[in-house]
Formats: sequence, structure tokens, C-alpha cells
Amino acid sequence: MWVKLAFKLFSREFRRGELTIIFAAIALAVLTVFSLSSITERIGLNIAQKSSDFIAADRRLSSNHAFDPQILIKSSEFGLETAKMLYFDSMLFANDELVLGSVKATTETYPLRGKIIIKDSLTSPDYEVDSGPKAGSVWLSEGLFYTLDLKIGDQVELGAGLFNVSKVLVKEPDAPFFSLSGNKRVLLNYDDIPTTQAVQAGSRVFHRLLFSGNEQQLSDYYAWLKPELKSNQNWEGIKDRQSPLGNNLERAERFLLLAGLFGIMLAAVAMAVSAKRYCERQYDPVAMMKTLGGSRKVIRNIFLLHLSLVTTFSIAAGLAIGFVLQTIGADYLATFMGTELPQAGIRPWLLSSFIGLICAMMFSLKPLLDLFDIPPLRVLRRNLGDTLAVSRLHLALSFITIFVLMWIFSGEIITTLILFASTLLVIAILFGISRLLFAAGRSLGLRPGSSWSLAIATLQKRANANAIQLISFALAIKLMLFLVVLKTDIIADWQMQVPPDAPNMFIINIAENEVTPIEQFFNENNIGHEAFYPIFSGRVDAVNGDKFARRVSKQEGEEKDEDAKEGVSREPNLTWLDTLPEGNEITEGQWFSDEGLLGDEIEVSVFDGWKESLDLKLGDTITLLVNEQPIEAKVTSFRDVDWGTLKPNFVMILSPNMAGLVPVTYFSAAKLQDKHTQDISQLLQRYPTISMIDIKSQIEQAQSIIAQVSLAIGFVLSIVLVSGALVLISQVQASLAERMQEVVILRTLGAKGRLIKLATLYEFMLLGAISGLVAAIVSDVALLVIQQQLFSIKGQLHPYIWLLGPFSGAVFVSSIGYFMVARTMRQNTQGLLRKLA
Amino acid sequence: MSVLSQLNVIQVSGLTKRVSTLEGSLTILSDINFSVKSGESVAIVGASGSGKSTLLSLLAGLDVASEGDVHLDGEALSSLDEEARARVRAEKIGFVFQSFMLVQSLTALENVMLPAELAGDHDAKKQAIELLEKVGLTHRLEHYPSQLSGGEQQRVAIARAFIGSPKILFADEPSANLDSKNGHLIETLLFDLNKQNGTTLVLVTHDEQLAKQCQRIIHIEGGQLERISEGGAANVG
Repeated sequence: MWVKLAFKLFSREFRRGELTIIFAAIALAVLTVFSLSSITERIGLNIAQKSSDFIAADRRLSSNHAFDPQILIKSSEFGLETAKMLYFDSMLFANDELVLGSVKATTETYPLRGKIIIKDSLTSPDYEVDSGPKAGSVWLSEGLFYTLDLKIGDQVELGAGLFNVSKVLVKEPDAPFFSLSGNKRVLLNYDDIPTTQAVQAGSRVFHRLLFSGNEQQLSDYYAWLKPELKSNQNWEGIKDRQSPLGNNLERAERFLLLAGLFGIMLAAVAMAVSAKRYCERQYDPVAMMKTLGGSRKVIRNIFLLHLSLVTTFSIAAGLAIGFVLQTIGADYLATFMGTELPQAGIRPWLLSSFIGLICAMMFSLKPLLDLFDIPPLRVLRRNLGDTLAVSRLHLALSFITIFVLMWIFSGEIITTLILFASTLLVIAILFGISRLLFAAGRSLGLRPGSSWSLAIATLQKRANANAIQLISFALAIKLMLFLVVLKTDIIADWQMQVPPDAPNMFIINIAENEVTPIEQFFNENNIGHEAFYPIFSGRVDAVNGDKFARRVSKQEGEEKDEDAKEGVSREPNLTWLDTLPEGNEITEGQWFSDEGLLGDEIEVSVFDGWKESLDLKLGDTITLLVNEQPIEAKVTSFRDVDWGTLKPNFVMILSPNMAGLVPVTYFSAAKLQDKHTQDISQLLQRYPTISMIDIKSQIEQAQSIIAQVSLAIGFVLSIVLVSGALVLISQVQASLAERMQEVVILRTLGAKGRLIKLATLYEFMLLGAISGLVAAIVSDVALLVIQQQLFSIKGQLHPYIWLLGPFSGAVFVSSIGYFMVARTMRQNTQGLLRKLA
Repeated sequence: MSVLSQLNVIQVSGLTKRVSTLEGSLTILSDINFSVKSGESVAIVGASGSGKSTLLSLLAGLDVASEGDVHLDGEALSSLDEEARARVRAEKIGFVFQSFMLVQSLTALENVMLPAELAGDHDAKKQAIELLEKVGLTHRLEHYPSQLSGGEQQRVAIARAFIGSPKILFADEPSANLDSKNGHLIETLLFDLNKQNGTTLVLVTHDEQLAKQCQRIIHIEGGQLERISEGGAANVG
């Protein structure tokens, strides 16, 4: 029988809107968690997949020497797929033109991950294929077609072999991004290597083996391989690569995570406030039911059923809306990223439902227990059981729950702890400030009977309740301001990385005597360009005289810091410079002294990430082997390098007194437009040894992803704004009964409607403005910390939010509050009296 | 238990209620003794703060006495826990309150059905409609309390009080919140229904005129039973 009654009561309460805020809060928490966790999971999976594409495999083994055949044989025993690759340089000859090309010979299985993009002719559209050329034919990059004056179907001599030119090679998945291999690329079938006779004993060649399989197979295989590896063999995984795109997406993911945490926090506050209010509204019915003989058990069953129903419905609604939103979001992102996003697993479903359940249970537990304890005597003594103050147990339970929710969602204890502790601190500060402000308000001598004095009197009268309201308002406004500013900063930072005038072409292999004429050529043709950097390769051979053994780079996952990505086995590109490049910051030591600029002692500035890898400290002497010639340099500074920019960055920068000691080529970057094509062909004809790397597509991709991720961030922000509004509404609603009572009294005493309305408006405006001001101050300070710690963005104060905070707070709070109270005031006094009875 | 006490549907003996305050223990009711026969109508009168509402709460088992006991239809309330007292109320007691105490989310009909539904009575609807008919609200069955006037709300409360045919009806200032016209209507309705059902009525009021309509009047003053007088309806009973 009680079930029928419970359903009846539930449907009525739901229709009366009593459960709306609880419903919305749970649904919002669920949909926030669901949409964010599935989108970030899908983007994460996509990044991993994309990163695999970057090396055309899951793992890669590189060496300058041929591999033991056993390595390949063994890999098939572990169930891995493999491909072989060989890089070498060889002369190409056609139409009386001779040019040096970079050849990549691959087996039919290449690429294991990603696609090769080709064209049927120079003018036809490009398309993707799964494997390279058949034996007997070659695919050439566009630059070679111009240099050798070739067209599809022509023949080209490559080394000693004659090959049919069958396709225009546009891009391979592992095409060099920042490497020096130029735009004269040749893709050849592995079986054709002997025909070319280009690979002889002592030839400079690079061998690569590519592997793919599942993580278990790969790590089992690596366990076998590790002891077999020789010092000249290098095992690379997907995380060993740096990409500005990856960095940005990682940053976006962090933002989404943070926003999600805020969304949950706000939804949780709304839930806690509305659950308490809902239970308080049930005090009278429960007392009545008890008086009429309802047993505690029946009453408990009725309200637990209510809670279960509202929880079930709101989780279902949250999941449904979340699913639709994430599908739209992921489809949109997929279109712009040009790839289908992999499906997220079951985790977002479970995680979000679990969070919804926890929210519902923990925030309503204490209010429900209080409700069951309401004495029947309340029917005679009306205020029995009323608890004006929030109980400590409810507070403690709510805080613990919020902490656990944040932890579960983020999976990161440190971020959770920082955010949680700072929030607690904010609450404590806010409570103190609010009490002080209300006390100070008393000394304001305002004309009695004015709306302002009524507003201030009301604020003071409910000082405690207002302090709680102020805290939730301020918290909501703080989190919203926080995200708005962070979003603006992150996006501005990204846009700065890829400004509209960013160079889209790298020019490499420029000989020293070509620098001046090329620079002149750029200037004559109005082509914007960067400085010309001297470039040479060198290997770190010793530190303070101790020979540095070439290490096998670590298996991914063993070390997570950035240093591991760079490794030290590579021969980095080095330069010398007299000024610190943009995007670099000295973290330790000094930029080159006069000695380094003019004296004999060579100084070196090292990227922070290499400090630990090489176990370096200021004053150490590094021996670099440049073309087998040892160069000694003293470490005088360490630098933080922003790898996120699409600008040339260097691990080691030597002092300018290096000039003349080693042979170098120069490097520059230019912003080319379509109208420059003709001029560039002329340039390439005139200086055939220089190479150009087109990074237009990378820039376009980065820009489109930034645009899309900004959109995703905007979407998340709007979820947080809705959560914030919910908090405000739940708070105003919680105080509505008391306000109604006041309105009735004031009306009965003859106060004009206008006076009451204005007083309400001013009260909310004051509350909103104070909350907004405090929120602005606190969020600006917190932003400073978070930007530097979490997002590696240069933190700065944002004076505009000091105005925006109070203004938006006043407008937001007063409009919501006024709207809700105004509805009440439209009723006549008698109607209100009856409602209050 | 004696035959006399069996006839007495309410037996109050040595009833005392003390509450602790910041200033120490405060005695609200002291050593109250009286009994009410089955079918009798009794008014409890006294000034504000005299303790009459506290007495009502003890009689109905809404609160527990510090000393003494209340026997309600043979059951000693002091020996019962909260749950058992709720059962007694469900089986034997009906209530009418000054502030109506209707559940806002239920219609007039559902409010009347509520006690029966809580007690698991499946025949509640038919009985509730009959009662609402008796109080003249047939046309208001599906209305919510906020859509009813004060007088109408109290009539719903009276109909609710009689569902399940309780042995005893407690009424706390039933007409105090109403204008005189509606107040008289309610009082008449209450006494009429009481007579029809043969219910024992215990009415708390400060209205001497209303009290006189009962058979006996218990005067409470400063927490003590001052005297018991005969009401205007004494000879009718």
C-alpha cells in the first residue's frame, strides 16, 4: 500500500517542481562526467593512434647497421607484425639532370600504422593507400618532379637501376616533420635495393624495423629483445616523440578535466543545498503522517523510494543527454581532425552512473536521516525539528563526498588535493570576509525606509544564512570566472603558437655562401622569413672527461618525464646564437658572457630536460663529437624550451665563438603564399642543394584542432555555467519560504510593492557584487598558480576580472533571485498567507 | 483493569510534564488526573501558555510524560515506544488541527485517504468520498489545498479525522484560524459528525462558547487542573 502512496507523492512532488533541482543536479553531474570522460577518452585513444601513425608502427627499432635476422624471426613468434625499412641517399638521373635524393625502401607491409598519401599526377587530388610501390617502380615527392622535369610514366635512374615513376608521393605517416631530409624523397620497394647497387659496404644507411601488435605482445617481445640490443640500436615507442599538437591536446584534456571537476563540484553543491531544502519541505507532511499513525518504516520506505526514483531518472537522463552531446561533439571533432574517433569503452558509462549514485546518496543521507527523525509533535509545535544551521555531519559528509567524487573523476590525487584544499581555504576566507562585510554594512548611515536600508537590514538579519549563500555564490562565480579566463588564456596561448603570419616552409641545407643571396631573394620578393640559424650535428661524447656510453633509450612507460622523450642517444641539431631565442627562458645560470661571445672558451646553454638525463650541472664541461672532431663546451645555463611552438628549437645552443670551428649549413623558415610558387622554383633551380619542408598542412591541422578544441572547451564551460546557475537557483529557492514570510509581513504592514521589489533586487545585487568581488580576487590568485603549475602558461593578473566579477555577480545573482522572488510578489497577500499556513 | 476504567476511554493519572531549559527544569503540567468516557465530548480550556496543548500532545501520544500515565482505550502509553504509539494513533485516533495540516501535494480526496492508506486500508477511496460528501466538498475532490479556502481546508481535515472510524477525536483550536462564519460552520460540522459516529471528542480551545458545546470542560491554569465543569451539552450526551 505504501508503494502506491509513495509513487503518488513522488509524481506530485515532481510535478510541483520540488525535485527539479535535485534531478537537474544529479543529471548534470552525470552528463558532465559522461560527456567529458568519453570525449577525453576518445581523444586520448585517437592521440595514441595518431602517435602510432607518426612512426608508422607501435614500436620502432633503428640502427646504422643491419639487424640480426633473429630479431625479425623472433618477433613473429611473439605474434607481432613487422615491416623493414632502409634509408639511404642516392643520385637520381633523368632528363640530363642529376640530383641527390633521400630514398626510403620499404617492404610491402609498410606502413603498419597510418596511411601513405599519394597523387596520380601533379595536378590530381591526393588519396590514401596502405602500402608502398610495387617492385620496379618508384614514387617521388613533388620537388623531384620539378627538379628532374619529370611526369608520371617517365623513367628515372636511381643508382644503377632504372625505375618507372608511377605516383607523386605526398606524405608518409612517418614523414619527417622537423628533420633535415628535405623534399627530395623517394619511396622504393625493399626488394629493389640490390638493383640500385647504392648500398655497399661502408655506405651511410639507416636500418629500421617496425613492429605492431597489442601492448602485451609488444612488452613481452621487448623483454626478450632488451638484453639482445646493441649500443647502436635504438628502441622507440610512441611516447618518445614530441609534437606541438600532442602538447596542446594534452593541455586541452587537462582543461576539460579541470572543468569537469568544477562542474561536479558545483552540481554537488546544488545537490547538497536542494536535498536539504527538499527534506525540510517534507518536515510537515512527515510529522503529519506520523501523527496519523504512519510508522517510521513506512515513512522511510516512502522517501527512500523517492530518492531511488529521482536518482534512477536523473542518471538515465544524464546518460542520455550526455551520450547525445558527446556523439555530436565527437563527430564534430572527428570531421575537423579528419579521422574517425575511436569509440570509448564502458568506463564513462560506469563512472558517470557511479558518480550520480554517490551524489544522490551522500548528499541526501543526512537530510533524510533528519527527516525520519522529525517528531510527530511538530504538528502542534510548528518549529520543532527546524534546523537553521547546516549540521556539521552534513557538511563533513558533503565535503568528503565532493573530495571522493573529484578523486574518482580525475584519478589524480595531487590535483584533487590542491583544488580541494584551496576551495576549503577559500570558504574559510569567504566566511570571514562575509561576516566583516555585513558588520561593516551596519555603520552605513542610510535613510530609514529606503529600499537600500531595507536591503542591508535584511542582509544583516540573515547574516549566517547569507554567509552560506555568499560562499556558494562566490564559489560558483569563482569557478565560472576561473574557467572563462583560463579558456581565454589557453586559446590565446595556442593562437600565439600558430599566429597567422607563422612560417609555413622550412628552408634547410643552405650553404654559408648562399645565406646572403637567399636573404636578398626573400627581401626582393617580399617573402617574410625568420633569421638564418647555423646548424650542425653533434653527439654528446663525454661529460667532464667521462665518456658517455650510448644508452639504449628506455621502454616507454618506464620513465614519464619529458627528458625521456628526447633521449640522449640522438645526435641533436646544434646551433650557435648570440641572443636567447623567443620561447626560451633561462632557468639556471646566465646567458653567454663576454667570454662566450668573444673569448676562446666555448659555452653551452642546455635544455632543462637534458639536465637530468645527462646528470649535468652548471660549470660542467661537455665534449661534443662533431664530424668526429671533439669540441669542449662549458655549461653556463639551462633553458626552459617551449616545444609547443612551431618554431625551430634547440636542445643545445653554443656560444657564437664556435663560428668557424665546424662546417655548418644554415636553416631558416619563411611564410610562402601561392603567388610565390614560381619564384621558389627559380630559387630551387639556382640553389639545387637547398631543401624545403612544407609544414602548411601541419599548421592548418593545428589551427583547425585549436578551433575545435576551443569549441569543446566552450561547450564544457557552458555546462559549468549551467551548474553555477543551478547552485544560485537552489540557494535562492532554499531561502524562498523565509522571504515569502517577510514579504507577507511587509505587505501586511503596508509596504509598497515597489519598495519590497527594489529591496529584494538590491539585496541580491549586493550579495552578487560582494560574492563576485571576492570570487574575482580569489580566482585571479588561484589562476596564477594553476596556469603555471598545470598548463605551463606564463601566469599574469587579469585586472578586468576584478570589475567583471562584481558586475557579473550582481547581474547574475540579482536576475535569478529577483525573477524567483518576483513570482512570489505577484500573488496577493491573502494568497501568500494561505500558502504559508 | 476495572470495569470503570474500561468504560473510560481515556484515563489520565498523575500526568506531569517537565522540560529542561537553560534556567533549569520547567514544569509545564503537574499531576493531572481525569478520565473521559467513551462517546463523551470534553473541552480543555485555559489561557495561552497554560499547558493545554501539551496536555493534548500527551493524550494523543505525540509526546511522552515525565511522570504519570495516559491509558488510551486500555493501553498505557508510557509503556509504548514511538512505533507502537503510532499504531495506536492509526487505529484509534483522529485529529483536527488549528493550521489544518494538509499535505500540499495531495488532493482533497487523497488527503482524506492518507490515514487509511498509511494503515493499509484498501477501501479508503469509497469511505473518503462519503466523508467529503458529508462535509459538503463533493465538488472539490481533486482540488489541492492551495486551491481551497481556509474553511474548505478545515472541512477536508475533519473528513480526514473521521476516516477509519476512530474511537477518539482530538481537535486543537479547530476554528481559531477561521472567520466567525466559517468557524461556526466547522464547529457544527465537527459536533454533528461526532454525534453520528459516536466518537469521543477531546477539544482544546480558549473559546468559552465553543467549550460550552461539550459535555464537560476541563480548566487548566498554570499547568494544573483547576477544575472540571459541566458544559452546555452535558444533558444531551
